[in-house]
Amino acid sequence: MKLGFKYGGWSIAALIGLVLLCATACGTPVVAPEFLTGGESETVTGPVAAIATESAPIVLEGGNVLDGAVEAYDPDVDYFPDKVSPRYAEGFEVAYHPNYKVVTVLTPWREADVTFRYVLVQRGTPVPEDVGDAQVIEVPVETVASLATTHLPYLDELGLVDRLTGVGGFAYINTPSVVEKIETGGIIEVGRNADVNVELMLDLDPELVTTLGLGMSSKDNHPQLLAAGFDVALVSDFMETTPLGRAEWIKFMALFFNREAAAEEIFAAKAARYEALAALAQDVAERPEVFMGFEIRGTWYMPGGGGYLARYLEDAGATYLWAGDDSNGKIPLDFETVYERAAEAPYWVNLSQSWTNVDDVLAADERYGDFEALKRGGAYNHNALLNEGGGNDYNESGHANPDLILSDLIKIFHPDLLPEHELRYYRHLVPASEP
Amino acid sequence: MSTHNAARRQAQGLSCAQPRSRAPLLMLLGMVLVGAFLLDLATGSVMIPLRDLLAILTGGTPLKAAWADIILKFRMPKALTAALAGAALGVSGLQMQTLFRNPLSGPYVLGISSGASFGVALVVLLVGVTGSTWLVDLGLAGDFGMALAASLGSASVLLLILLFARKVPTMTLLVLGLMFGYAASALVNVLLYFSVAERIQTYISWTFGSFGGVTWRQMWVLAPAVIFGLAVAFVSAKPLNAFLLGETYAHSMGVPVQRARFGIILSAAVLAGSVTAFCGPISFLGVAIPHLCRMLFNTSDHRIVMPAAALLGGSLALVADLIAQLPGSQVVLPLNAVTALIGAPVVIWVILHKQNLRSSFAS
Repeated sequence: MKLGFKYGGWSIAALIGLVLLCATACGTPVVAPEFLTGGESETVTGPVAAIATESAPIVLEGGNVLDGAVEAYDPDVDYFPDKVSPRYAEGFEVAYHPNYKVVTVLTPWREADVTFRYVLVQRGTPVPEDVGDAQVIEVPVETVASLATTHLPYLDELGLVDRLTGVGGFAYINTPSVVEKIETGGIIEVGRNADVNVELMLDLDPELVTTLGLGMSSKDNHPQLLAAGFDVALVSDFMETTPLGRAEWIKFMALFFNREAAAEEIFAAKAARYEALAALAQDVAERPEVFMGFEIRGTWYMPGGGGYLARYLEDAGATYLWAGDDSNGKIPLDFETVYERAAEAPYWVNLSQSWTNVDDVLAADERYGDFEALKRGGAYNHNALLNEGGGNDYNESGHANPDLILSDLIKIFHPDLLPEHELRYYRHLVPASEP
Repeated sequence: MSTHNAARRQAQGLSCAQPRSRAPLLMLLGMVLVGAFLLDLATGSVMIPLRDLLAILTGGTPLKAAWADIILKFRMPKALTAALAGAALGVSGLQMQTLFRNPLSGPYVLGISSGASFGVALVVLLVGVTGSTWLVDLGLAGDFGMALAASLGSASVLLLILLFARKVPTMTLLVLGLMFGYAASALVNVLLYFSVAERIQTYISWTFGSFGGVTWRQMWVLAPAVIFGLAVAFVSAKPLNAFLLGETYAHSMGVPVQRARFGIILSAAVLAGSVTAFCGPISFLGVAIPHLCRMLFNTSDHRIVMPAAALLGGSLALVADLIAQLPGSQVVLPLNAVTALIGAPVVIWVILHKQNLRSSFAS
């Protein structure tokens, strides 16, 4: 990013000098001034002066092309002066070329042995040869259908909801701008859970479909979508092991719409807030013990110590009782194991989404009543923003705003560090009789 | 003529069987059951020394207070559930194999497990869709609600079967049971389609089967149901011997066929239904245990084989639970995986090695 700007500045200066020299020499009118002063810079008109320095391409002023195509392609122009580079996310890579980007999704699902490559070509410029098995997509994309709710906050923050034409299940959605568009009839429901209605999708004909894959042919919808001829972006934000890594996939989404500048700015602000909060909680004197999850018929699925939930707890100044494990997923533990290790712990977070008070917890299994965290009011559930259709905003806007979730957690474990903050995603579990 | 003689000889052989000579073996099985019970109590993810275990069982105080809770609140109900469930499945499997004269029948052949699955699916999956809180308000959204729904589901299928039992022959009943099972499974698939991921996970966890989800509060329902079912089953053990030779022959020997069949089906359904309601569908035990018993005692006399099935069933279930816990490690395996791993080889071995499989199902 910064490198591009530096080269851009110098090359523009060099260009001005050379163009003026050329103009005086040849006497031909050049559109360079228009190019340099061009207002919106939506399109580049006329032949840009062919002289450029060998090492650095000419850069578009006004940033990436946000809408529409380039009218006259020039191979010496760098059409993507705004670039992204992931700092926390490890699941995707992008390599920039003057008129196309090569994006690779490295781990689309757990233990995947495939990667997904995309060649994103600026509209109005030629497709490079030899793309291999990559999907070639023209950017910026004009219409998109998103089949997972974590993608919606990205589109919302990048100002792209007007391009959203299809989603995968109205009931689960919480993002206000999307809900509004649904209510005015501007979005079609093209599927539910993992099932996608290909006929509706073909009728809708979005330029891009964003979805997720699990590597299970019975559940994944991307094979049939690819077979039907759609361009499918596999967003594997859920595979990241850190909260910031997960939220940084806004940059991945931005790549398809040339919205890199906005994505970088938005994410940088969130990352800065998150890091500041984590630093605040770093120096606490005591890190209280905490555990998560709940049991189903004798088995307690405990989030692994290598995953993002464990990272949240560590950054919030708590001691996660299963931090020693380094798996990214859930460990199936015996109820008695959890009982022995966690019965005395003061805090319990992220319980079953259907529990809203202590009585619900006890109704599920009376043995939960022996846990200190439940007895002493240390149980906090992440379902304060669970909507009626079963969609939890914790997994939607919470996913894209890890600094907000971290604030909630710090407020829970160290309330004196954030006296003004009020819990947003978390609900304090108290007996039903209490107000 | 010769078939009649053969049948008469077999009937004589059965009536001349001396239960007393098998008593020592039965007692041995009983001791195995007790041993398995204690072993199941002693093992688990948490290492509790034997000395403390004995102290807890005799009312003393162990080194760590949490251990007493673990033994009394977790392992004791689990072991008791395993023993009851194993006995129930073994006996009901035996009854179904004899009634339908099919060595591969199990307790779920009447569609009872599918009925229970449908009941559980209704409770678990609908809570998310309708967003209704009335289930939660009634305190039915948790484990107890699932057990109740499963009981109602299997009871409904049971009632349907009993209704038809008076009017149709036995083989037709088998097919009817299978069809009810398919219909219930289909309805469950429809419910799954409209559900949220988390509820689907809860439902699927239920299908793994587990003895650990039963608390003492639920034991008040499970234990009486199983004991009732076992009692009715033992009463119908003698008529069951006659059924081995076919219903016509049983009728000719003076057995009240309709009433006996009703009792057999009722007890089998109550046993299978209550176990499925509280533990989820548990595969293989019901099919493998009767074969093992018949082989062990070398007889088909239900007066011997039925108690043996109860004892051996309980023991095997406890062993399966032991293995599923992977003692020493914190993780657990799904119960149905372990029962299949134990049960399938047993059934294969029995079928391959047993010469007189046909004769024990004179058909």
